[in-house]
Amino acid sequence: MTYLVIAYAFAVALLGGYLIWSLRTLRELERKE
Amino acid sequence: MAVALMLLAAGAIFLYAPTDALQGPVQRIFYLHVSSAVAAYGCFAVVLVGGIIYLRNESPAADRFARAGALVGVVFTSVTLVMGMLWAKPIWGVYWTWDARLTSTLVLWIIYAGYLLVRRLAEPGRQAARIAAIVGIFGFVDVPVVHFSVTWWRTQHPGPIVVNDALPAEMLATFLFTLGCTLVLAATLIAIRYRIETLIDARQAIAEPTKLVAAPQPGAAP
Repeated sequence: MTYLVIAYAFAVALLGGYLIWSLRTLRELERKE
Repeated sequence: MAVALMLLAAGAIFLYAPTDALQGPVQRIFYLHVSSAVAAYGCFAVVLVGGIIYLRNESPAADRFARAGALVGVVFTSVTLVMGMLWAKPIWGVYWTWDARLTSTLVLWIIYAGYLLVRRLAEPGRQAARIAAIVGIFGFVDVPVVHFSVTWWRTQHPGPIVVNDALPAEMLATFLFTLGCTLVLAATLIAIRYRIETLIDARQAIAEPTKLVAAPQPGAAP
């Protein structure tokens, strides 16, 4: 069970973190446009 | 929408799919582990097609799609590798073994991480774009090696179970739903990254107009 929780926590952190970072970068670039 | 779909997929994985009789709850890693691997294949196919189109007509849009596909593909390959390691530990007793599937997947990650490194370190321009396109095209050779490694060689990693009808109906439905949601997420991430690359290229063109990835137009001022 521990491995299952860690695996999905990692996936959520990486995919979610990447999505948030991408949206922030996009908003910043569009603001500077 | 992609986030909402992934939440629905999580609901299917943890609430709908039955618990595996042999492996127990840890088998639920399977759904996102395999879906991420397929999404990564798709992302690297975008790099392949983008690279071929770029080498044919130096389309900056194709190069941007290739760059976006490589980054998102590396993210999904990372998810595949780490989830696989966390699944392997309770089942095999080790996080990692140098079998053909695991090794070829690690090589795939290294190839496209190298692709991104070339894009980051090389001076932006046609030369870097052409080299990256070639790396992206030849790197794709590893995708069928990863996929068929479990049938070509004896591996600790299990062979194909989805195409061999080895999954009960509820597990198959959960897997196919998770796969669909993951592919939508991958397409969304590529679209966002494509937009970012477009804006970066536009800034680059204003700052250093001589370093465009596209061929100069005939008759244009040098």
